[in-house]
Amino acid sequence: MASAIGKDISSTGIKLGKLGQLAKRKTLFDDRPVEISELTYIIKQDIANLNKQIATLQAYVKQRNTQNTSKTPESKQLDEHNHNVVMLLQSKLADTSMSFKDVLEIRTQNMKESKDRTEQFMHTTSAATSQAPSNSLLFGNSQRQDPMGDGSKLRVDTKGKSRAVTPKNGDILALDLGSAEEGTALQNGDAFMQMQLVEQQTEYIQSRSTAIESIESTISELGQIFTQLAQMVAEQRETVQRIDADTVDIASNVSGAQRELLKYYASISSNRWLMLKVFGVLIVFFLIFILVS
Amino acid sequence: MKIFSLAVVQAPPSKSCTILSSASDLSSFSFYQRGSVGEFLSFFTKTIAERTPQGQRQSVQENNYTAHVYNRGGAEQLAAIIVTDQEYPVRPAFSLLTKLMDDFVAKVPQTSYANPTAISFPEIETYLQKYQDPRQADAIMRVQQELDETKIVLHKTIESVLQRGEKINDLVDRSNALSMQSKMFYKTAKKQNSCCLIM
Repeated sequence: MASAIGKDISSTGIKLGKLGQLAKRKTLFDDRPVEISELTYIIKQDIANLNKQIATLQAYVKQRNTQNTSKTPESKQLDEHNHNVVMLLQSKLADTSMSFKDVLEIRTQNMKESKDRTEQFMHTTSAATSQAPSNSLLFGNSQRQDPMGDGSKLRVDTKGKSRAVTPKNGDILALDLGSAEEGTALQNGDAFMQMQLVEQQTEYIQSRSTAIESIESTISELGQIFTQLAQMVAEQRETVQRIDADTVDIASNVSGAQRELLKYYASISSNRWLMLKVFGVLIVFFLIFILVS
Repeated sequence: MKIFSLAVVQAPPSKSCTILSSASDLSSFSFYQRGSVGEFLSFFTKTIAERTPQGQRQSVQENNYTAHVYNRGGAEQLAAIIVTDQEYPVRPAFSLLTKLMDDFVAKVPQTSYANPTAISFPEIETYLQKYQDPRQADAIMRVQQELDETKIVLHKTIESVLQRGEKINDLVDRSNALSMQSKMFYKTAKKQNSCCLIM
């Protein structure tokens, strides 16, 4: 069973490689959108299948584990081996789906570029017909960029689009741009209506998701602001502690100085006996000078 | 941005709709225009509901009225239409429609669909009034608005903390100077004591 899963994974990888090659082609007219969308669909189904198979394999392994409850070392090794095989298959599947997602992103980018180039070349002839698709696309874009409709400064960018479930997004964008090209070629009014309807369906959901993402980014900004605030207050705490220490020093210095002055005053007032003696000596000298003169 | 009317319509795919419940706010029109505007709105509502396939959302513009319609289909084959001016944001309009229809389905039994005049759904009026200011009524917008206010408050807080920081720096310098001076004062006082024992 596991070998079958491994083979399927490798074959899906090959198909994915082919899809990647097709997506990388940058020629303007040889795009083959039908093949690409078919391949995308097939690969998606394969991945879903593989998921299911791996799930059943895991269940099977667990069932066997619960059946053999013997603790011999060989059965333990067997259990480990089974477990490892399942993990390996799962990781291979995960790698495949990641590369699938990358290929789809490349594909949508290329489609955008090719659409721009098509517009450049066919601008004059398709001026009238491209009014409606540009209208709906612009309408769609303005919807996406302004889900609040109140012009508030939301940092919404295309991150919202690429973060949505990428296969679905890739399909929808492929559908939009594909039918835009088709519209310019066919000049069919019905195609526009269809496209607008389909766009609106996913547009509403996308606008909701962008709105919620902007809320999420606002909340994370608020968190950052709070941390900044806490940091600033912590810095200031240290300074405040310095001020406290300084004030304590000032208090002790001033009280010490007052003590000294008190001592001095005390010594001055008690020094009077010495002063009397000093004054007595002075008066004696004064009297001597008067008697001499 | 205003809502002109809000309506729940039964829209079976065979192209004949009946308005089950509706509410409108025509206070912005002069008294004599209200009758014709009301008729125009109900005609508009019915036409658009008929032209929307099931399970689709659609927005239609007509002069300066924009109608958003969501045809939910389902067992009751309901559709809800809201007619607003051009400024009203689209996303809350659709979420209002979804909410309205869920509420309608919960409150009004399906048997009374055949008798539109007997259906009493006063919540439609409250919805209309409440959603005249979508910023308050729509949950997502309200949360966003509150978060923005909080952000403004926090910015002010950070500014005042910065000012506090400046003042604290000033205080630190001054207390440093004061401490120096008081030390000199102490030293001088001490010197006075020990130096001159005479006089």
